[in-house]
Amino acid sequence: MGELMASYLSEPIEAPITAEEQKPRTSQGEKPPLPPSSEEKQEIELRGLGSDGRAWLGCSFEKFGERCEYEGKERMRRVELSLNQTQKLRLQRALQKLESLSSKANSDASVTVADNIPVNYDDGVLKGHGTSELDGQVVATLCGVVERVNKLVYVRSLRSRYKPDTGDIIVGRVVEVAQKRWKIDINANQDAVLMLSSMNMPDKIQRRRTAVDELNMRNIFEECDVICAEVRNLQHDGTIQLQARSEKYGKLDRGQLLTVPCYLVKRRKQHFHQLEQYGVTLVLGCNGFIWVGEHINVNAEDSMLEDQLNKPPENIDAKTNIFDEGDQTHTELETRQNICRIANAVRVLSTLGFTITIEVIVEILDLSKSLNLNIHDMLGAEFCVLVAEREAGRRSLSTKRKG
Amino acid sequence: MATKASASPSTYSPSTRRRKQERPNIKDPDWVRSDGRGFHQCRPAFLRTGAVNAAAGSAYAEFGNTKVIVSVFGPRESKKAMMYSDIGRLNCNISYTTFATSIRGQGSDHKEYSSMLHKALEGAIILESFPKTTVDVFALVLESGGSDLPVVISCASLALADAGIMMYDLVAAVSVSCLGTNLIIDPVLEEESYQDGSLMITFMPSRNEVTQMTITGEWSTQKIHEAMELCLDACSKLRTIMSSCLKEAAFASNE
Repeated sequence: MGELMASYLSEPIEAPITAEEQKPRTSQGEKPPLPPSSEEKQEIELRGLGSDGRAWLGCSFEKFGERCEYEGKERMRRVELSLNQTQKLRLQRALQKLESLSSKANSDASVTVADNIPVNYDDGVLKGHGTSELDGQVVATLCGVVERVNKLVYVRSLRSRYKPDTGDIIVGRVVEVAQKRWKIDINANQDAVLMLSSMNMPDKIQRRRTAVDELNMRNIFEECDVICAEVRNLQHDGTIQLQARSEKYGKLDRGQLLTVPCYLVKRRKQHFHQLEQYGVTLVLGCNGFIWVGEHINVNAEDSMLEDQLNKPPENIDAKTNIFDEGDQTHTELETRQNICRIANAVRVLSTLGFTITIEVIVEILDLSKSLNLNIHDMLGAEFCVLVAEREAGRRSLSTKRKG
Repeated sequence: MATKASASPSTYSPSTRRRKQERPNIKDPDWVRSDGRGFHQCRPAFLRTGAVNAAAGSAYAEFGNTKVIVSVFGPRESKKAMMYSDIGRLNCNISYTTFATSIRGQGSDHKEYSSMLHKALEGAIILESFPKTTVDVFALVLESGGSDLPVVISCASLALADAGIMMYDLVAAVSVSCLGTNLIIDPVLEEESYQDGSLMITFMPSRNEVTQMTITGEWSTQKIHEAMELCLDACSKLRTIMSSCLKEAAFASNE
């Protein structure tokens, strides 16, 4: 029996090439046989839309009689805007500049599933998350980047759900009101649990929670309410327990909740930001949920909470009642516009994949105001490219100062 | 094919005469596969991760005319997973679009394929890493061009890797068809329609472990050995293509 070998017709997909690299490639010696009308196919085209409207850039040409696909860099693909040619080039330049400035991540450190992790076995090694042992060798079980801390070797995944740590400030949405607890969705593997005993009672008295308190849970938080809390601890089976005992935690209303990838929000000292001059409160949750809302004074909040408790029977009545009390809950137009501007600033940062910090948000806000942009124009392609260029310029300036 | 002149142009009446699928003379030594491949040659593979933005992980695969998109959600809470369990749950679903086959179909779920996908993947995923939660794998076959299930399985394991779910290894799947005395690998839709038997293997090459083997039809022991060798070799090669796809995705997104 001869050797039975299966073979694949075309070569495996090669490394991605950017728009600039595309052109010189054809002039090199090793040119694949191209069909006559290949010239237009050489350009990077905005090819079709992904199932969610994401723009796919790519070009195709014939090689050995088979269609092969080459696509531009991953980062371009993630931008969900329709950019014209100049904007594409500008954005690419800005992103490349940023990449060259940032500390170059060692590409050798990235592994895929079941790759061997090079380890110095003489020192002894602690196998951390994302690793396992096979035939005396350490292999990765995740796709990600290998991190080493002394003897600990672990694989950090590039895309995964939020992994909570004790003390993280998070923003979440109430999913369920259960026995003596609320179930909160915080974009982690499981829903987090906020016990009734970890929540301040409206009357501020420290006391045991009675059955009446349990029945009145819905007056404090209901389904679909947005709250902010702190991670109290993680149980051994992965249950996340929250606590909201401080004044700054609790229900958030009159604002917008934004979802960004959780790795864009780094752990800092301050997650609550009051922007007095705009009248806006900004809460950067570590889980990637960001709250932008109207800034309410703490004293007024207490009295409003009590009013809410006393109001329930009235709310069941005709809806016109609510409009009568509209003055109390009316937010000024300017505050609302500021809230929308800040929310759009966060959306632009999320689209570009930049780390979200209060300084950057305020910068973008000032930029948009100085340009007198309409609020909805902030989501357009032009502003996106502007922000990227500005960030590249700012970082190159700071590295020049350092160096 | 004779056209029906009686039917009015605005209505469509299917042909009552069933077109018999003529099985070509495969004993003929000159018989060549319809797309010009050798008997032991697989179709060129195009794989890409990150196709669906809303999903935790996703992948798109094109093997000739078979086009599949798989999205993975999770690990996340599920109402069905109310009971405590110290391992995670895997939920698989394969559905065909209405335009996937040459004749417009119903576009329903394929329950048999879904359970086969489940069996193929559950050996590769480390279920202990996400207790009490569920990982949902949704596969959508956009165009069915033959050898659908192996493509779905390979694409699904890419999507799981993209989602950051711990696995022992990527799962590569290949199927082999038996036509008379010949064995052809990676059959196309029409080759599948006149096959005598099929063998599909889903394989984890780095661990040298088979997670699932499916045999239909009539096989002699010697043929099974041959087909298995073919499949395992093809799976190893497919695995290298899959990992290079993941590597370039990871490399490109590294900041």
